[in-house]
Amino acid sequence: MFLSGTIGLAADDPIDFQKQVQPILAKKCYACHGPDEAEGGLKFTSREAAFAETDSGGFAIVPGDAESSYLLERITAEDEYERMPPEGDPLTEDEIALIRGWIEQGAAWENHWAFEPLTKPAPPELSHLSGETHPIDAFVLDSLHQAGLQANPAAEKPELLRRVYYDLIGLPPSKSEVDAFVADTSPDAFKNVVEKLLASQHYGERWGRHWLDLVRYAETNSFERDGPKANAWKFRDFVIRSFNEDKPYDQFVREQLAGDELIDVTPETLTATGYYRLGIWDDEPADPLQARFDALDDIILTTGQVFFGLTMNCARCHDHKIDPIPQKDYYSMLSFFEDITPYAERGDATSYNQIDISSDQLKARYADNDRQRLQLEKDIHEIEQIGIAKMSGPDQRATEGNKRDRNRVLRAKLQSNLDSQQWDQYTEYQQALKKNQQELRQLPPREQVMGLAQYRKVDEPTYVLFRGSPHSPSDEVGPAFPTLFESPKPELPSIEPSTDSSSKRRLLLAEWITDPENRLTSRVMANRIWQYHFGRGIVESSNNFGQLGTPPTHPRLLDYLANRFIESGWSVKAMHRLILSSQTYQMSSRGNPESLAADPANSLFWRFDPRRLSAEEIRDSILAANGSLNRDVYGPSVYPELSAEVLAGQSKPGSGWGKSSPSQQNRRSVYIHVKRSLITPMLSAFDFPDPDQTCEARFMTLQPAQALSLLNGDFAAKQAQKLADSVHAADIEDSELVRRVIPAVLSREATDAEIADGVELIESLQTVHGLSEAKADQLYCLSVMNWNEFLFVD
Amino acid sequence: MKNPTRNFCGRTRREFLWQTGGGFSAAALTSMLAGDGFLSPGNLSASESAGSINPLMAKPPHFAPKAKSVIFLFMYGGPSHIDTFDYKPTMVGMDGKTVDVPTFGRGGKKTGGRIVEPRWDFAQHGQCGKWVSTLFPNVAKHVDDIAFLHSMTADSPIHGSAMLMMNSGKILSGSPSLGSWATYGLGSVNENLPGYVVMLDPKAGPISGAKNWSSGYMPATYAGTVFRTKGAPILNLDRPKGMSQEVQRALIDSIQQANDRHFAPRQDNSDLESRIASYELAYKMQSAAPEAVDLATEDEKTLSMYGIDREETNDFGTRCLIARRLVDRGVRFVQLYSGGAHNDDNWDAHGDLELNHNRHAGRTDLPIAALLTDLKQRGMLDETLVIWGGEFGRQPTAEYAEGSGRDHNSYGFTMWMAGGGIKGGVSFGTTDELGAAAVENPLHVKNLHATALHQMGLDPNQLSYFYSGLEQKLVGVEHVEPIHQIIA
Repeated sequence: MFLSGTIGLAADDPIDFQKQVQPILAKKCYACHGPDEAEGGLKFTSREAAFAETDSGGFAIVPGDAESSYLLERITAEDEYERMPPEGDPLTEDEIALIRGWIEQGAAWENHWAFEPLTKPAPPELSHLSGETHPIDAFVLDSLHQAGLQANPAAEKPELLRRVYYDLIGLPPSKSEVDAFVADTSPDAFKNVVEKLLASQHYGERWGRHWLDLVRYAETNSFERDGPKANAWKFRDFVIRSFNEDKPYDQFVREQLAGDELIDVTPETLTATGYYRLGIWDDEPADPLQARFDALDDIILTTGQVFFGLTMNCARCHDHKIDPIPQKDYYSMLSFFEDITPYAERGDATSYNQIDISSDQLKARYADNDRQRLQLEKDIHEIEQIGIAKMSGPDQRATEGNKRDRNRVLRAKLQSNLDSQQWDQYTEYQQALKKNQQELRQLPPREQVMGLAQYRKVDEPTYVLFRGSPHSPSDEVGPAFPTLFESPKPELPSIEPSTDSSSKRRLLLAEWITDPENRLTSRVMANRIWQYHFGRGIVESSNNFGQLGTPPTHPRLLDYLANRFIESGWSVKAMHRLILSSQTYQMSSRGNPESLAADPANSLFWRFDPRRLSAEEIRDSILAANGSLNRDVYGPSVYPELSAEVLAGQSKPGSGWGKSSPSQQNRRSVYIHVKRSLITPMLSAFDFPDPDQTCEARFMTLQPAQALSLLNGDFAAKQAQKLADSVHAADIEDSELVRRVIPAVLSREATDAEIADGVELIESLQTVHGLSEAKADQLYCLSVMNWNEFLFVD
Repeated sequence: MKNPTRNFCGRTRREFLWQTGGGFSAAALTSMLAGDGFLSPGNLSASESAGSINPLMAKPPHFAPKAKSVIFLFMYGGPSHIDTFDYKPTMVGMDGKTVDVPTFGRGGKKTGGRIVEPRWDFAQHGQCGKWVSTLFPNVAKHVDDIAFLHSMTADSPIHGSAMLMMNSGKILSGSPSLGSWATYGLGSVNENLPGYVVMLDPKAGPISGAKNWSSGYMPATYAGTVFRTKGAPILNLDRPKGMSQEVQRALIDSIQQANDRHFAPRQDNSDLESRIASYELAYKMQSAAPEAVDLATEDEKTLSMYGIDREETNDFGTRCLIARRLVDRGVRFVQLYSGGAHNDDNWDAHGDLELNHNRHAGRTDLPIAALLTDLKQRGMLDETLVIWGGEFGRQPTAEYAEGSGRDHNSYGFTMWMAGGGIKGGVSFGTTDELGAAAVENPLHVKNLHATALHQMGLDPNQLSYFYSGLEQKLVGVEHVEPIHQIIA
């Protein structure tokens, strides 16, 4: 069992090297006996190396004979100077027992599971169950059965409905939707709800946001100016739309990595290349070359972890300490990205990152206008120079200085230095220029998207950088896939290096990543889908499938899901349908003493894990409860009003924060402008992630700042008042107020006890504390918005 | 809680819970709330949620600490070292002379320029005979308690990246700041106050704002909380109009009543308990935080010592005194910004050096001296590490053809430390005779960070946080030594 310490280790349980032993070796031994070092001639990186004779003439591991194995002797030594590891905590008794057992059982040594090709496991046959079993349940029930545990019974229908609403669209069901679902006893009742939610535009807002966490989505550059990224929101809409349309995941990946290199390039695929423009960008780096490689590292880190679950970034300065990723692989990966220009250059915020996707006709009109302007400016300049040549020395000098001085002189003295024909011609040109400018203003705006608008000319090889220093290039490398996958070397197209066309390398990478044979891509995404449904992945470290990641709790289930994902044509919605239709998803979240004792962390999925709502869900639900949520989808980002004390933290208070109309401020939280140095406090208090680096799973903290925000914050107070107004608090009895507020907030009827408590609170606020009825009503509404039941999903 | 120790492993479930603030231990919760008569005995059983821990609960250090708290006096904009504490006698009489000296600042890399002679006179002070300029006459009285670091260097002479470096050790944004690392490593002993407090200049924040006190890839639990000296000290701390303390208590009681009902069938869910507890902490914070910034109980002598009775020093004096009060109440890390916004609203003296530095030294000299005096007379200096300095220093040469303005200098600059187990009367490292670059014993910002952590009982090369496949450390992956020469 992998739950060592919680479920006892039976002597004859086969020990899994990958899951149980290898992580111990990596954690406790690799620092001195790993890929980098082989102290005493010993390293635990392969079977051959680990079983070889050491410098001292002994053997660390003697298969089948724990007592003769030095490894065991050293990790159990009483003498502190003998005991391994020399630094840090000694191995626990459980860990020692695992290593002893593994050696006794013959020290079987397999490769890391995630680096092996996908297996095709069939759902286990469950002899203890009759009837047809959902494939997911077969895997889960099988492992529960082996651990002697029972799956929880099904969740109550209202609980299940609330769960799936938040899960799929990030919003609560209304009370009437709950009632309808409870009343619907047809076998397809739940399925129909799932279909309705998957068809909702709000689905993409919820699931797109997961992706935005992964790709570190933000709309500004960080650093001193933290300037805005024009049209970044179109990338956000691209993501939301892709989820709504159930774009096949392989296509979704290809568009982001190589949307400009596909056979069929569209405005949408160009928008997708905004992926490369989301990172931080320093407009005045101390070391520009270092900055270029830092930006590329950001892309390698994000691409490696997000698309195929490898921490390639760990091999930037040296070979990966744990995983078989040599430093050379990092720079071979970098080579795919050589044609990426920096986000921008100081003084030109747009040329590299704004792609003009206007119609050819409109582009031509802009070009005409441009040509005309340039000609006119040239003609005007010529006549000016004729006049200037006749002017005094100091005046001539002044015209060579700044524009203001030049214009001052020209205004005062040009006409007197030209003949009348020249002057007439000059004024004619000036009028034509004015007209040209008017025309420009009247042209329909060009449509631009953020992405790769210009390329870096790739006219030199990629080098491995010694210790990661851009100033120490060493061996030459070219684009190649990580060697551990044994993929054939990509065939590079021959492309004339240019700033106008891409090097077509990224498409090769995208095709390799989305190849069904890729050992990680399908597993990584299937795991993410699982994680967003259940709160944790089958591999908990969803950005890291390497040997430092957490081993899968259900490896066969993961491979099964990965296969299903590919077979469905990489359809994310098909995966939702599969997962949501399982008993595993529909289980109750309640604890029971037996299961809690055996598996308190719920590693085996004997229950559905309850969770706190995310930052966006909390804010959106508050707006939904009082009916003021603006459910418009897509479009430019919005700016909720921030208080002066929040803005006081900026070096230019208020800078870069716009104003939105009240109804725009009530848009869903996914549309709030993400300014790196000014994350909306209501969202950051509830663990909205720092957008500078990829976020695989959000934190879930429970801290006083959250309580203060919901008790004292302006937003909460305002929304509580709207809630009171929305139920016509002024016109109704206190008990009726409670009867209306609780369904609005919690999608269920108020209980008698709640009505009694609510009435008592409202009355005592008036009688004991002297508040007005209106104020008491508002505070009651506020109190319900603070209930745990509102913030947690079963 | 176990020390964060060196290991290569991914987060265990237990660590994950701890890092993510999975909740308070039932025992701690019970004792925390019992005094309020809020929980009836038997409501919680300790065994049910013993695995969950308050993320800010005080944690044992790696070894016996010298400093319990840090007060970081951040001279934003970059004070000129050669005009303050790095005495350059050979520059006297050289004003206006052209010299060949490599510099790198906002204006790019240059190979020489016109010397701007230090504009203030220096004199020797204390037993140690330290030369200090007339910009800091009061701080000068404390030189025997101060260790000066004259050979500081940083990776960037540009505000944005240099601020991030001084605060987080990296020139790129997204990493936790020094105060986050301190609270991550040690927690905080006063649960009613934030563990990490930042007090800004009344004019505005520094460049990059909240990025400077961000917890980066760590949970927001470890981010700095901005404290104000006027109005409600913390965002949302003030009860809204019409909500008295009693009304709020009634509301919280009502909320908790509903929470109790909700909890009854979910007794194993420690997150629910944690959220219940967070309301009680928030409630207490509303009295604890205003009490901490309320100077009514301070006598006139103290207020005057900090310069609170004078317009020039009122603001910084107030913040220094509050810093002392916060540290006295167990706050782990306090950062004060001298200067905010842009140009001459902070130490960024590009135009008129004299006007700029007279202004900012004038506002801070007396309060800083008072802080040192006050900490010492209360016996708190031994356990409070005071750090002074900016994100870089300034160049010996003029930035423009005319005037005394100096551009940025990250090749060499001065910071100082006092208290918290740091030797007094010490000057470590030197710059060349113009102060252009560190020559003897060059120090990196990482050495400063390592020293701060070390004084707090944390091994800078062990304190790590697993993220992005790496054991991330404030000082980076390479081993970094604290500055042993200034450690008592």
